[in-house]
Amino acid sequence: MDKKIKVAILGTGNIGSDLAERLLASDDFELVAVAGRRPESSGLARLRSRVSLVSSSGIDGFRDCWDSIQGVFDATSAKDHLMHSLELRKLGKWVIDLTPSKIGKATVPVLADQYPDFGYLTTDVANYSMVTCGGQSSAPVIAAIAEASSEIQEIEISSSISSDSAGPATRRNIDNYVDSTESLARGVARTNKVKSILVLNPAEPPPLMRTTVVARAPGILLEHAKEIVHRYVSKTQDYVPGYELVVEPHFIEQGVLSATVSVEGEGYFLPRHAGNLDIINAAAVEVARRHVALNGRV
Amino acid sequence: MERSIRFYDVSLRDGNHALKHQLSAEFVAAYAALSGKTSTWALEVGHGNGLGGSSHLVGKSAETDQNLLESARAFLPNSQLAVHVIPGFATIDRDIQPAVDVGVDVFRIASHASEATVCQTHIEYLSNLPVEVHGVLMMSHTVTIAQLVEQAKILLEFGATAIVFMDSAGHYRPSDVGERVRALRSETAVDVGFHAHNNLGLAVQNAIAAIESGASIVDVSSRGLGAGAGNVPFELLALALGMDETAPEEFSGVLALADLVSSNFPQFLPQISPSSIRSGLLGVFSGYAPQVEKLSEEFGVSAAKIWASVAARKLVAGQESMLREIAQDLQNL
Repeated sequence: MDKKIKVAILGTGNIGSDLAERLLASDDFELVAVAGRRPESSGLARLRSRVSLVSSSGIDGFRDCWDSIQGVFDATSAKDHLMHSLELRKLGKWVIDLTPSKIGKATVPVLADQYPDFGYLTTDVANYSMVTCGGQSSAPVIAAIAEASSEIQEIEISSSISSDSAGPATRRNIDNYVDSTESLARGVARTNKVKSILVLNPAEPPPLMRTTVVARAPGILLEHAKEIVHRYVSKTQDYVPGYELVVEPHFIEQGVLSATVSVEGEGYFLPRHAGNLDIINAAAVEVARRHVALNGRV
Repeated sequence: MERSIRFYDVSLRDGNHALKHQLSAEFVAAYAALSGKTSTWALEVGHGNGLGGSSHLVGKSAETDQNLLESARAFLPNSQLAVHVIPGFATIDRDIQPAVDVGVDVFRIASHASEATVCQTHIEYLSNLPVEVHGVLMMSHTVTIAQLVEQAKILLEFGATAIVFMDSAGHYRPSDVGERVRALRSETAVDVGFHAHNNLGLAVQNAIAAIESGASIVDVSSRGLGAGAGNVPFELLALALGMDETAPEEFSGVLALADLVSSNFPQFLPQISPSSIRSGLLGVFSGYAPQVEKLSEEFGVSAAKIWASVAARKLVAGQESMLREIAQDLQNL
């Protein structure tokens, strides 16, 4: 019996194309349909012979095959997602939102067990937001430090990404990126004192994405913190294989801990250095898998 | 002296790098009061990385942006109050609008030289307000002249009304500066500004080259107080421009500012050191100097090696957290 999760993708830009390759390579998913907006799109052309339904009519292109689609990955734009979200809700489909719309539930797979707020919904209809790359990459470290300490008083996240992996939407909405990342950090660290910084680096060859977390957690024990950070890093590697701790937790002043991770992408469609985009897609696929497992709709 | 030159004083912003961001509101007030008596066009105030720059990454400010700006505003009735803004550090809601409310007149929106598009939202937002918005390209030596012009045009399209290019690494020779000013002047219709660092001891000469090539905004700093080897010492540029003869009163005002800095921060005055010369020649960001020295000691790796690796990895401003990884990798070699 076919147990694959049947899904569709909206949008065939870089993110959508990488998702498509990822899903086509997976044993757990069947990519039933993809839709874009432009008939001449190279993303659609690339998938035409490999996906049974390829449409250039956007979400309307799926109208005859909704029965065979369980859920949708939306890799269009924040504005388009608002309409898609309403439509999918009516149709009773879950959706993983890869746009910066922020209307879905902020979800980070590694947090699901400890933080129901950032975990899965037990409803068929669900809208999950993948937050930001800074959020996905910092959350495991913040959660580990939270577990290792009695209280976090302050969190700072600084991420550097390669310029070529920061698309026009990220650049135009850089404040949005900062706000979303900080909002997730507030929830995980349970402190209002958070700051997120994003730096773009145009170096050639392009550098891997890096995220440094600084946490003020008085009384935290370094060895204990290291052990838990390693555990969270390893749990994250289960769904983001290129996630790596490159600078071990260390004190930068008394009670203030810092650690740095890097993310190398899996290179499905996006270049390997674009770990910032990869971690979003990796999280999206994991969320879909876990949501379906939880709600038993396979 | 050319009256059309606008002196833009960065002592209380870039200088805050040299002070490890420990600038006090009291000093800002005293400096602003004296500055009002000089020919300074604008006084830039804040954390070394500008609005929202206070962080573990770069250094925590002793004072909030709000306090620093309010202190300056109160004692600066005639000249412009200015801020440096790097999108990715500062957001409109948290940092920019409050600065507008305090009464900041000039906002300089800055990005790495090739990344002007990150400035769009911030520039557009400010363009609709009664303030002056300038576009800044940092680490300008990392791009070609054609790219610099192209990025400047992007900033102008968003609504910036002047372009400032920064020699953030203190890498330029006077001819480099002249070429760039001329290119920007001939390809755009706006005022061009230049921000020097003194790593190679050429800051004053570079500023003169900029002025002679048509720059109308020149960044200066009392005693050169600024990141790394510091900026253009205001008093030395004024002297080079003959202000001691053409405008003796103003010149003595500039010297009074230099006195104020000298007497308050004798131990923080920038120096041209072998380390600053190395980083200048390599073209790496001046602001990393304190961390590089510290990590060199901690990991037992020479500062020269760390600088070389920073250059090889092509770090841009704001990547302080990479320095530790670099020192660690060098130690493990």
